[in-house]
Amino acid sequence: MRKGLGAFAVVAAVLAAAAFFGLPSATAQGGGTIEADVKYNGAPVIEKVKVNKDTQKCGNEAVVEKVVVGANKGLANAVVSVPGAKGGKAVKGVIDQQGCKFVPHVVVMSPGELEIKNSDDILHNIHTYSTANPPINKAQPKFRKSMTEKFEKPEIIKVTCDVHSWMLGWVAVTPGPAAVTDGNGVAKLENVPPGKHKVEVWHETLGKQEKEVEVKAGQTTKVSFELKK
Amino acid sequence: MRWPAASVVAGLSLLAGASAAPAQPGDAGAAKPLYDLKCAGCHGEKGDGKGPAAELLDPRPRDFTSGIYKIRTTAGKMPSDQDLFRVVTEGMPGTSMPPWSVLPERDRWNLVAYIKTFAADKFKEPQKKLELPKDVASSEESIRRGKEMFEAIECNKCHGDAGRGDGPSRAELKDEWGHPIRPANLAKRWNFRGGSSRTDIATRIANGVLGTPMPAFLEAVEKPEDVWHLTNYILSLEPDVPAYATLVTGARVTEAIPDDPNADFWLKRPGQHIPLMGQVIVDPRNFNPSIDMVTVRIAYTDTEIAFHLTWDDPTPSKPDGKQTFADVVALQFAPGAEGAAERPYFLMGDQSGGVYQLRWESDRGAVEATANGPAKVARLAASEATGKGVYDKGRYRVVLRRPLAAKDDKRMTFRPAVFLPIAFQAWDGGAGETGTRMSLTSWYYLRLEEPQSVARFVMPPVAALLALGAMLLVVWTANRRGSSGS
Repeated sequence: MRKGLGAFAVVAAVLAAAAFFGLPSATAQGGGTIEADVKYNGAPVIEKVKVNKDTQKCGNEAVVEKVVVGANKGLANAVVSVPGAKGGKAVKGVIDQQGCKFVPHVVVMSPGELEIKNSDDILHNIHTYSTANPPINKAQPKFRKSMTEKFEKPEIIKVTCDVHSWMLGWVAVTPGPAAVTDGNGVAKLENVPPGKHKVEVWHETLGKQEKEVEVKAGQTTKVSFELKK
Repeated sequence: MRWPAASVVAGLSLLAGASAAPAQPGDAGAAKPLYDLKCAGCHGEKGDGKGPAAELLDPRPRDFTSGIYKIRTTAGKMPSDQDLFRVVTEGMPGTSMPPWSVLPERDRWNLVAYIKTFAADKFKEPQKKLELPKDVASSEESIRRGKEMFEAIECNKCHGDAGRGDGPSRAELKDEWGHPIRPANLAKRWNFRGGSSRTDIATRIANGVLGTPMPAFLEAVEKPEDVWHLTNYILSLEPDVPAYATLVTGARVTEAIPDDPNADFWLKRPGQHIPLMGQVIVDPRNFNPSIDMVTVRIAYTDTEIAFHLTWDDPTPSKPDGKQTFADVVALQFAPGAEGAAERPYFLMGDQSGGVYQLRWESDRGAVEATANGPAKVARLAASEATGKGVYDKGRYRVVLRRPLAAKDDKRMTFRPAVFLPIAFQAWDGGAGETGTRMSLTSWYYLRLEEPQSVARFVMPPVAALLALGAMLLVVWTANRRGSSGS
């Protein structure tokens, strides 16, 4: 009995030490933070579509927000990513279909699984327009509240629903740290390994921009972008 | 003892025939000249679906470089060689893709190999056959469950409540390339792109149709076998390929003919199915007609004749005169042409000979008209025709009626027991069809059955009795002679 306990204690101690002294772990040790500020010099683009079905869930008018601009010209729904950076925490993607909209409009995830929810109690279909990953067009009837799909390759994927043609969402599969800008056009990327990196910003209608930044451990590096019409 | 087994194997492989994979894979290089000759006109020399004819086709020809194929029996994205071979061989019903069974089998396999070279990378992935759940034979119970599932998974959103392709999402649907695409009319399964066998239908439901809005339902139904219940329900919607009529007949009736197109009087009569084609003779042409069939039932009395017409149209149009026009069906006749050697030109007549039309127009009702060509249609004043149309779940039913006798020589007099030329035309105004953009037939013959007198029931027994009497007389006479002679 004593011998067994002793062996257990040794193993536990070794494990604890290993964890403490930095076996490769999910979070990059000593990373810095990138705070990206994305601006847009144009006006918001909002389309309205008359709804002819499922109005109890979708409303009578669907609002398609193609370009959302907040305070100080901040551009929302832009993906800021550091494609080249290794490490970082694996982020599982979750997207919901709610009120005949994809929520959130843009999802950022690490290569792996995306959970697709249907909170609407009506039929939707997940139709992806992917090229690197296999395209998917799967029905999600009202009784199928959740399903999981795999996206293994980095790619920004358009997602639509054919039943409700105005529904539009994006899934950004990125191996490195990434985030979506909030209503003020700000995105914070944490745990970015120190060093020089290319930071990329992408927006569904305004395209891409790239900038090089240097990240220092424990510090916040600010970078700003301005997307143009 | 070994030869029977060998012959069984040989027999089986013969039975499998064209559906078996080739002994050796097709030779892509050998097929190039054939592809350029037979396929490139639509699919393009580079296989990108941009051949010279592509713009005119709806649905558009396949872009082979995309590697997106509608018809797959595989679990993955890419079709099997057999799937491609089948489409090449059988064509795609309801599209411009014809069956190429006229080509030698070897050539077709070579074409399959050549088509794959346009997306060679995508075909490298290993393939797995789609495993369908265990087949469930059709029964009332299964059809009921299929209908329940049809409603639960909301097939009606695109395909409509009765499956006639008239669902509310219809107008919004686009294919992978952004071109408008229409949901299938499930009641016309002879138009299904990938075939209409039980397995074909179950596979499409389970696997979806790639590149189109039709999603995969295998994991989306409550239980896997629901795929088969849905299949059985779809198969129960309408009969298989309709038996098209070659002669149109009208029945003589003595009761009053009802106006209501949904009356049992009409629906209990057998329908005569008439196939319609797009009008492609004069500009503007209609290469992709919306209406491909009209079903007709005809009854007449001593004084009047009535036509009952049924056809599928996904939209009851509210004409705006720009993009949407009235939905119209026309019956065309040739007054004075019975027994004549020549009939007027079937496309609404011409200068040398006019036609008479009995039409139902969704905004005007019954209309009588004469025409000397599609551009020269004149409505007749003081019309004696009346009509009633109803629209329900993607289907029109119309009753058109008129006195048997014409009040002038512009109009048609309907005489029983003769062959009267008749032709059909239809317009789906919601699809922008108007004028020469229509569906039509060439001339058929209409025969109104002769009034049936009771003579056919009386005369045969009378004749039989007379014959019997005559025989008895002969026997009796012979007997008398015999007895008097002894």
